[in-house]
Amino acid sequence: MIPIRCISCGKPVSAYFDEYNRRLADGEESKDILDDMGITRYCCRRMLISHVETWE
Amino acid sequence: MKIDVKEQDENSMTFIVYDAEVPFVNAIRRIAMMKVPKLAIDDVFIVKNDSAMFDEVLAHRLGLTPLVSDAASIEGLVLPEDCDCDSEKGEYCPRCSVSFSLREKGPKTVYSADLKSCGDSKIKPVYDTIPLLKLKENQEVDLEAVAKLGIGKDHAKWVPTTVCAYKQYPDITFNEDEEVIYAVAENCPRGVLEADREEGRIDIVDIENCSLCKTCVRTAKAADSKFINVGYRENDFIFKIETDGSMPPKEVLLKACDVLDSKADEFIIFSEGGS
Repeated sequence: MIPIRCISCGKPVSAYFDEYNRRLADGEESKDILDDMGITRYCCRRMLISHVETWE
Repeated sequence: MKIDVKEQDENSMTFIVYDAEVPFVNAIRRIAMMKVPKLAIDDVFIVKNDSAMFDEVLAHRLGLTPLVSDAASIEGLVLPEDCDCDSEKGEYCPRCSVSFSLREKGPKTVYSADLKSCGDSKIKPVYDTIPLLKLKENQEVDLEAVAKLGIGKDHAKWVPTTVCAYKQYPDITFNEDEEVIYAVAENCPRGVLEADREEGRIDIVDIENCSLCKTCVRTAKAADSKFINVGYRENDFIFKIETDGSMPPKEVLLKACDVLDSKADEFIIFSEGGS
């Protein structure tokens, strides 16, 4: 499961996780999605980009 | 002191404070992060948790979920230490706590939207889309969560801000006697400077974005020149505040000022001979 908040700054990045994955599956570029969702700092961006779901 | 708002939206604000002092601006910053009360889930009673997630991990995730804490929503709520109830016994009163229940059956992903507030409280999670845990076939989760007001000093879940920082206003000057070095602008990593070859000078296009990294100064130094000087204005500050969505940034600042005010009041009472 993705951490609720960005580990460095505390922004609740998990709220954007499903939308991010959905748009990624639709073929959008990772950069464009993050810019569009307003996730501007690299600490928050890495939370979504580098997350590996190992829960299943 | 004069304040100019540069950028503002729902959850963040950038403003410039002119003619202030470091101790004052820093006090506001520290109080905004550490002393402004907001709601967060503090106690979780787990009746049933069949999921693969450990109880304590689930409780931690619930705690970090931001809850709506703006002034209108938390009106009437007090900090548990200011309440006259006996919360030590495990009893919760409506003056200092808000209860939530979570009762779900798999297979599904449980989201923060599934967290139901008990009673008719306006308080709910800020975001509906935070995945809390995953349940498989026939797995159930049943819990009660109690949210309380708290301050960031005690736990990160009560910190209302994500970014809350200031920097001194950059001050870039050029030495007219020296030859213009265009590489100074090309090396700037933040696009603050722009080379104007026709006019034969360097333009400052975005001074507020300057991080005082001094790459430009070092570029000039490599060419044995003192063409550019980068410093800062002692008494002007660029302040950026961003919240986690639980309350608007202006409200955080307002409450920070209230806290600072009450601290100053204590000094006044002391100085006037009180205790």
